[in-house]
Amino acid sequence: MTPHLNLPPRGAAWLISLFASEEETHSILGDLSEEFSRLASQSGSAFARRWYWRQTLKSLPHIVFSAFQVAPWSTGLAVVAGFLLRRLLAHLPDFATFALIDRFQIHEHHFGLYLFLASTALDIEHILIFLLVGCFVALLARKREMAPAILLALFYVALSLVGSTVGAIRTGEYAYLLRLSWYFTDALSIVLGALFVRTLRRPATGQPLHG
Amino acid sequence: MPAAASITTTVLPRLSFADLIYNVEIMTGRDYLGEFEHIVILALLRLEDRAYGVTVRQEIELRTRREVSIGAVYATLERLETKGYVRSHRGEPTPERGGRSKRFFRITAKGVTALSRTQHALRSMSEGLGLAWRYS
Repeated sequence: MTPHLNLPPRGAAWLISLFASEEETHSILGDLSEEFSRLASQSGSAFARRWYWRQTLKSLPHIVFSAFQVAPWSTGLAVVAGFLLRRLLAHLPDFATFALIDRFQIHEHHFGLYLFLASTALDIEHILIFLLVGCFVALLARKREMAPAILLALFYVALSLVGSTVGAIRTGEYAYLLRLSWYFTDALSIVLGALFVRTLRRPATGQPLHG
Repeated sequence: MPAAASITTTVLPRLSFADLIYNVEIMTGRDYLGEFEHIVILALLRLEDRAYGVTVRQEIELRTRREVSIGAVYATLERLETKGYVRSHRGEPTPERGGRSKRFFRITAKGVTALSRTQHALRSMSEGLGLAWRYS
C-alpha cells in the first residue's frame, strides 16, 4: 500500500481549512483525522478516504453559512461595504480608459488598439475592480474571509442573470446573454480576491494551531 | 416533568449565582431550540465530559440513524456557543488527531433553560394528540 493513502486526503483538508475559521479548522480536521484513522484500520484506506471526502463536501455549506449565524453583523457589514465599494469604483475603468483614448487620440491613430481598449481591456479592468472588492471584503471580514465574498459573488450572479434575461426579453437582443460569462467572471473575481487575502493571512495547510 | 427535572438536577448544582439570576431573567424570554440544536444539546447531556466533535456526531448518528456531517455539528455548536447555551475548552493534542487537540463542549445554565422551555413547548403541543397510537 502506498504510504500517502494512509493519510487523510490533502485536497479535502485544504478545502476545510480554506472556508473554516482557524479555530474551526483545528477542531474539524482533528476530528476527521481521528475518525479517518479508525475507519482506515477497520475498513481500509480507500473506504476511509471516500468517507473523508463525503464528510468534507457535506460540511462545506454548513461551514460557509455558519458565518452568517455566528457573526451576522460583521459578515453583513462586509457584504454591504463590498457592494458600496464596487458602486464607488464602477465607472473608474470607463473614465480612465476613455480619458486615455481622448488624451492620445488613439481612435484616430491606432484604431485596433482603440477597439481593444474600448472592449476587452475594459472588461479586464472591471475584473480587477472585482478582485479589489474581494480583497476588501475579506480584509473586513477578518476570521471568516470566504463567507461574505461568496455571498456577494452570488448576489452579483443573481443580479446579472436577472438583468441579462430581462434585457434580452425586452429588446429581443439575445447577445445580452453572451455577456453573462464576463459577469460570472466578475463574481468569481470577488471570491479569488478573498482567497488571495485568506491565503496571505494564514496558509491553508490545516496544520495544528501554534501556541 | 420528569425529563426536565432530571436535566435540571444533573446540571444545576454546578451553576453560579450569576447563572441562576440569568436563568430567572431568561424565563421571560422566548428562546427555543431549533430541531438540530435540540438534538445536539441532548447529545451533550448524554455524553457529559466526553462531548467533542467525534463523539457528538457519532452519538447523533447512532440514535437518529441519519448521517450527520461534522460541519453541521460544528456550525450548530458554534451557534449555540454564541447564544451562550454551551461553552467549550481544549483538551490535550493527540497523535491520531495529527497533533491537534479535542474541543470539549458543555451545556450552560442558559442552555438548560432553553432546553427545558423547548421540551415543555413540545410536550404541550403534543399533549392529548395520542401520536403513538395514531401513527403507529
